[in-house]
Amino acid sequence: MASELTTESYISHHLTNFTCGKTPDGWTCDPYKVDQMGFWAFHVDSLFWSIALGALFVFVFKKAISKNSDSSTTPSGMQNFVEMCIEFVEDNVQSLFGSVKNTLIAPLALTVFVWILLMNLMDLVPVDFLPVLAGHIAYALAGEGVEWIKSPESFYFKVVPTTDPNITLGMAFGIFLLTIYYSITVKGLKAFIAELTLHPFGKYLIPVNFVLEMVNFIAKPISLGLRLFGNLYAGEMIFILIALMLFFSSIPIGMLGFGLHLVWALFHILIVALQAFIFMALTIAYLAMAHETEEH
Amino acid sequence: MNINATLLAQAVVMIVFVAICWRYIYPPILSVMQEREKRISDGLEAAKKADDSLEEAKLAFDKELDQAKAEAAEILEKANNRASQIVSDASSKAEAEAEKILTAASTTIENETNKAKEELRQQMSDIIIDTTQKILGDEISKEKHEEILKKAAEEL
Repeated sequence: MASELTTESYISHHLTNFTCGKTPDGWTCDPYKVDQMGFWAFHVDSLFWSIALGALFVFVFKKAISKNSDSSTTPSGMQNFVEMCIEFVEDNVQSLFGSVKNTLIAPLALTVFVWILLMNLMDLVPVDFLPVLAGHIAYALAGEGVEWIKSPESFYFKVVPTTDPNITLGMAFGIFLLTIYYSITVKGLKAFIAELTLHPFGKYLIPVNFVLEMVNFIAKPISLGLRLFGNLYAGEMIFILIALMLFFSSIPIGMLGFGLHLVWALFHILIVALQAFIFMALTIAYLAMAHETEEH
Repeated sequence: MNINATLLAQAVVMIVFVAICWRYIYPPILSVMQEREKRISDGLEAAKKADDSLEEAKLAFDKELDQAKAEAAEILEKANNRASQIVSDASSKAEAEAEKILTAASTTIENETNKAKEELRQQMSDIIIDTTQKILGDEISKEKHEEILKKAAEEL
């Protein structure tokens, strides 16, 4: 990668994760051996940002109340913001979930919303800033000792976790597991299986019903994860393409690139918040469905 | 886009964060919010109650005030009556006393007058007898003409 910077290398550099995984020769983080890694590979950058932003969420929300945990004092600053978030989530849970009492749903929705919002917001950090910084840090730390870090540019670092399908599908998978858990515990295993097999054609076409319902059932988490991934990936992609205008074109087009960056960033704020909200709302909706006992 | 173990790791991370939020973050904030909500509604209710009781107190106060005024007026009237009665009593008593003193005085005056008259009469008869004796010599003595003298004194 130390070779000449081309459009193709620039884009692929931005779309490649820093991956550590198991190759036949053992564990390595060498980007040239990613092809040899099987399933047991981790996108360290995605997971790093995901955990860091999750920790930020926990820290901020914990701090907002531990400082001021009395109901008699007037809330101010961060506490107002935190309470606003919680009220927002409570309202949504209330409207989608109704009277069902489940103390997990609201915290889950809150976590999902704030966490995804933070991860999406990483998209608004200039596309080259963090990857280049990370490359230099990695190069400085590793020096000549690590053969695959030949220069700061040879270090891959993808910043926005939600542009990694593993992250979005991973969260969707977690929610999928919760859906199954609540379907079984609330409805009972029998009713859950009945729901999957006795619709829509009655008991004489159980295999057909099962296939249809299974598609329906599996499609939910996959669409949930891919929707978020697709939106953010596309947004990131456009940022990268706009950034290319600055690097590879004449001055007027470069100036246009600045303008487009601003416009797209402003528009992207909407997508960032909207996708976080959609993910949260669907999470609540799927879990509400898992609690629905009546036949539909 | 290659799916790998990152997916599982992310699912685990998510479960951990959701558990932290569920266990340590959400309930305290929510309880603070609900507590505050309750405090506010309690406060509003208390304010309403206070308003009501103020209204009540005002009514009671007005009633009490009216009653007190009425009582005061009554007491005043009674006092006035009593005062005028005392005054009239006193004046009638004084009049009676004056009358009494007056009668006593006039009786005394009459007695004195009578006494003086009697004395005068006595002295007159003595003077007359003296004079007459002097004129007539010893022809007429007091003892001899007691009868006549008495008659004359009565005529005086």
